[in-house]
Amino acid sequence: MDDLYLDNIDEFVNDQNKIVTYKWLSLTLGVHVNLAKQMLYHYLDQKRKEGSARLHATYLVSGKFVENGTTSHKVSVVREDQLEDAKSKMSLTVSVHVYSVQKAVLKDSGPLYSADYDAVKENLRNCSRYSAIRCADAVPRSSAEVQQACETTQAPPPETEQIKANHSNLASKPTSKQPKGIMGMFANKNVSKNQDSSKEIKLEQKEVTPVVETSKTKPAPKTNPVTNFFAKQAAKKPDKSIKEEVEIAQTSSSVDEKPTSPPPKAETPVKEELAKDAVVEKDTSKTKRLEHSDSEEEKNESRRKKRRRIKKPEPDSSDDEDSPPQLQEKRDPSPSPEIQVKKEPVAVSHSDELSDCKRRKRRRVLKSRTFVDDEGCIVTEKGYESESYSETEDDFKFSQPTPKNPNPPKPSTGKKEEEKKSKKAAVASNKSTKQASIMGFFQKK
Amino acid sequence: MSDWFVCYVRRCATSTPGNSQISREISKLCSFERTNSFPKVNVHFNKIAFFVTNKRPIKAAMFSEVSAPQEGSCSLLLCRPGSEDQEPSVFDRVKPAYSPCSERFKLGERSFNRQYAHIYATRLMQMSPLLTERAQQKWGADVRIRKLCDLQMGEQCCIVGTLFKHMELQPSILKEISEEHNLLPQPPRTRYISESDELILEDELQRIKLEGNIDVDKFVTGSVIAIYGAEKNDGKFTVDDFCTADLPPQAPRTTLSSDRFVLLLSGLGLGGSHADSMLALQLLVDMVTGHLGDQGEQSGASTISRVLLAGNLLSQSTQDKDASTKAKYLTKKTQAGTVDAMRLLDEMLMQLVSSVPVDVMPGQYDPTNYTLPQQPLHHCMFPLSSSYPTLQLASNPHQATLDGVRILGTSGQNVKDIQKYSSMDSHLEILENTLRLRHLAPTAPDTLGCYPFYLKDPFILEECPHVYFSGNAPSYQAKRITGADGQEVLLVAIPEFSSTQTACLVNLRTLECEPIRFSSFSAGDDEESEMNISH
Repeated sequence: MDDLYLDNIDEFVNDQNKIVTYKWLSLTLGVHVNLAKQMLYHYLDQKRKEGSARLHATYLVSGKFVENGTTSHKVSVVREDQLEDAKSKMSLTVSVHVYSVQKAVLKDSGPLYSADYDAVKENLRNCSRYSAIRCADAVPRSSAEVQQACETTQAPPPETEQIKANHSNLASKPTSKQPKGIMGMFANKNVSKNQDSSKEIKLEQKEVTPVVETSKTKPAPKTNPVTNFFAKQAAKKPDKSIKEEVEIAQTSSSVDEKPTSPPPKAETPVKEELAKDAVVEKDTSKTKRLEHSDSEEEKNESRRKKRRRIKKPEPDSSDDEDSPPQLQEKRDPSPSPEIQVKKEPVAVSHSDELSDCKRRKRRRVLKSRTFVDDEGCIVTEKGYESESYSETEDDFKFSQPTPKNPNPPKPSTGKKEEEKKSKKAAVASNKSTKQASIMGFFQKK
Repeated sequence: MSDWFVCYVRRCATSTPGNSQISREISKLCSFERTNSFPKVNVHFNKIAFFVTNKRPIKAAMFSEVSAPQEGSCSLLLCRPGSEDQEPSVFDRVKPAYSPCSERFKLGERSFNRQYAHIYATRLMQMSPLLTERAQQKWGADVRIRKLCDLQMGEQCCIVGTLFKHMELQPSILKEISEEHNLLPQPPRTRYISESDELILEDELQRIKLEGNIDVDKFVTGSVIAIYGAEKNDGKFTVDDFCTADLPPQAPRTTLSSDRFVLLLSGLGLGGSHADSMLALQLLVDMVTGHLGDQGEQSGASTISRVLLAGNLLSQSTQDKDASTKAKYLTKKTQAGTVDAMRLLDEMLMQLVSSVPVDVMPGQYDPTNYTLPQQPLHHCMFPLSSSYPTLQLASNPHQATLDGVRILGTSGQNVKDIQKYSSMDSHLEILENTLRLRHLAPTAPDTLGCYPFYLKDPFILEECPHVYFSGNAPSYQAKRITGADGQEVLLVAIPEFSSTQTACLVNLRTLECEPIRFSSFSAGDDEESEMNISH
C-alpha cells in the first residue's frame, strides 16, 4: 500500500488548513470509510512520532452508557484530551476511531459539521458508495418508473383542479407535454391569420381568461421585451392555461398571430394587453376595471372603422334572436370589453367541434347588429342575444366581439356563420375585445 | 437440555475453591464448550448446585451488545491500514418484511360540507358494543345497561356514552366574539383545566352530569367509557366505578431469530435558528448508513432494518410568517423558511434512503394539512430522494407491520392536546391512557383539528399494536404494558431530537427499546469540567 495518502493528508491539513474528517477523506480519495479512518490514524501516528506535534485530533467514542439507571447507547465526538475520560465513563466501549485531524484546536464541534457538508452535498448521488453497509433495495428508480408511480398515485385531476393547482413549478408529465403540444401548434400553424382569426376564443371561466392569455404570452416572447417581464408571472400559471390549451384543439387565432408578430398588430397587442393585464392584475375584476378605463376610445374607433369595412360585403341577414336589441348605441362599448373579457361565449370554429361538443348551453351574448334603417343610415345596435356554446370547446381564442358579428348568430348554426363572416373581422374584433393594457403604449400605431 | 444439578462436595479444609474454579472443573467434567457464559454455580455449605444448559443464553440484546467488538480483538481502526488484499468489510442491510397498513388514514376526495357531529355518532356506535362487553366482564353479566332516557331514579346501572368535559377556561370562539361579554381574547395557556371542570356523559339522545368517584382531571372530551352508578335525586349521576374499552385484541407476533432494530426518530427541527443538533443529526445518519464506528458497530448498524421519522421534521421557526408582520417591500423577495429547510431535509433523506428504508411521517410544523389525519408529504418536495423506492412517505398517524411486529403511532399532536386539557404530564402516561381508551385521539375534533368523518372513525384502535409510539416528547420514555388478554405492548415516547439529541432503537425480537444519544463537545464543556474539579 503506497503511503502517498500520507502526503495527501499532509497537504490537506497543513497547506490547506482543512479539517480532515474521515468522511471527507473517504469521499475525496475514494476509499472505504474504514480505510480512511485507518489512514488518519496512521498519519497522526507518524506525525506524532516525527515530533511535529502541531496536530490535533478528535475521536469518535461510542458505547454503553449508564445514567440514572437507564442504559443508553451513546455516540460522541470528543477531543483527544477528553478521550480517556469518555472511555472511562462508558461501561462498554463499542468503538473508538479517529474522527478528524486538523491543525488548530477545536473549541467547538460546529466546524466538523460544516467540514463535511460540502463534500457530502457534492457526492449525494453515491454517498453510500464507501460506507460499510449495502442495501439491496436502495437502487434509484429511473425517471420513467418514478413518473409512473406518481401518475398512479395521483388521482386524475379534473380540469378545474389543474387550473387551481398552480403552485408547483414542477411540471407533471401531462402538463409538461402540453406546453410542447401548444408550442408545436404555434410553430406549425403559421397559416394565414384570417383563417384562424375566424376561430373565436371561448372564454369559459373568469379565471381562465387571464390564465389563457398568460399562456399565450408565453409562446410569444419576442413580441416585446415587456412581455418577458410578464412572462415570468405567466410561467407561474402554466398548468391552468395548459390544460385549457390542450382542450383547444385548434390554435387560437390570436395565438397564432403572435409569432407572426408585426402583422396582427391589432390582435396581438390587444391580446397581449389582455393577457398582461390579467397577469399583472391577477384578478379579473380589476382587469375589467382597467380595461374599461384604458383604451376604450381607440378600440371603438378601430372597431367602427373595421366594422364598416367588413359590413358592406356581408349580407344583412339578421335573424332576431329572442332578446331584442336592448342596447342602444349610446350604451358604452365599455361593457362589451368587460363582457367579452369575462366570458363571452364565442362561436365554435369548426363543425367538427360542433359535433364533438359534450355540453351545449345557451348564453346571452352582447352582439351588435348593423342594419340600414328607414332613413338609409347604417345603424349598429348592440343587444343581448342568446347563443349556444359548448363548455368543452377547445378554442380559446378570444371572443370575437361585436364588430365581428354583424349578424346575430343563430343558435346552432350561428357559430358557423359567424366564423365565415367574421374571418376578416378577426383582426379588428380581436383588438376591440382586447382590453387596453400597458402594452398599448409600446405599440406602434 | 437444561437443568439444575446438585452435587456434594467434600469440604476441603485448606482451601475452598472459588466459584469460577469450581465451574471450570465441572465444565471439564461435562466436557462443555467454553462459552462466554459459564454454567451458573451456586455454592452452598456443602453442596454445589449448578445449572447446566446446552443452549446459549439469550443476552438482553441491547444495541451496544450487538455491536460490541468480539472478544480479544482490539480496535481495528486504531492501527495502520492493513495490507492491500484485506478487503474492507461491507455488511448487508437486513431486509425485513414490511407492509404499511395505514390506508384508513389516507383521505381521498375531501369534502368539508359535513358537520362534526357525525364522528361522535359513529364513534359511539362503534364503541358501545365493546364497552357493554367490558362492563359485563367487570361488573357481572347481569349488570343493567341502560340508555340515559331509560334511567330510573336510584337504580344501580351502567351507562355507556361519550364524555364531555366542561371547562371554563377552554377557549370558545363564541365567547370571544360575543359583544355582551366584552371579553378580550384569551392568551394561549399551557393548560386549560381548572377546579370547576365538570364531566358530562352523553349518549345518542341525552346527557347527564357525572359526579362521585371519578377523577375529572384525568379524562378528556371525546372518550367513550362505561359508568356504573345510580342517578340521584338532583338529576346527576353518581359514579361508583367506570371502565374503559381497554386494549383491543392482538395478533401474535412471529418470533424472530436474530436481532432486528427499528430506529425511531422525531423532532429533527431542520431550518431552525439554532443549529446545535446538526452535527448530532449528521452523526446519526452516518451511524445508520454505516460510515461511523468500528466494524462491530457497523455490523450492528446493518441490523437496523428501518428508520421511522415521526414528525416535526421542520422546526417551528419555519412557520413564522414574516409576510404578515413585516412590510411587504421587505419580504417580497424573501423565500419562506420552509423552502431551505425542505432542501436540507431532502439532502439528509437522500443519504438515508440510499442505505436504509425510511418512513417519513409529517408533524405539526411540516408542510402538509393541519387536520388529523395528516396526509403524507408530497413526493415533489423530495426531488432527490423520491427516486429511491426505500423512501416511504407516510401519513400521521401511521401504522405498519414490520417482520410481524405491528407498529402504530403518531407525531405527538394527540398527546400534546390531551396534555393541555388534563392534569397528566407524562407523555407516556397519556399514551397508555389512549391505548386503554382504545382511541388514538379522543379530543379530536373538539380541540384537535380533524377531518369530518362520518362513515367510521379511523382513530379507534381495532387491533392492538406491538409497538405504540408518539413523537416529539420532551424526553425519552419507554414502558412495556400487558393487557387483560395477554397483549404485550411497548410504549415509546420518542424524544425531540433537536433538543435532546436522542433517538430510540426498538429491538423487534425482544420488544425492548433503547435510547441512543449523540453528543459532541463544545466550548462550554471545558469550563464545566474545571468547575467540577475545583469542587
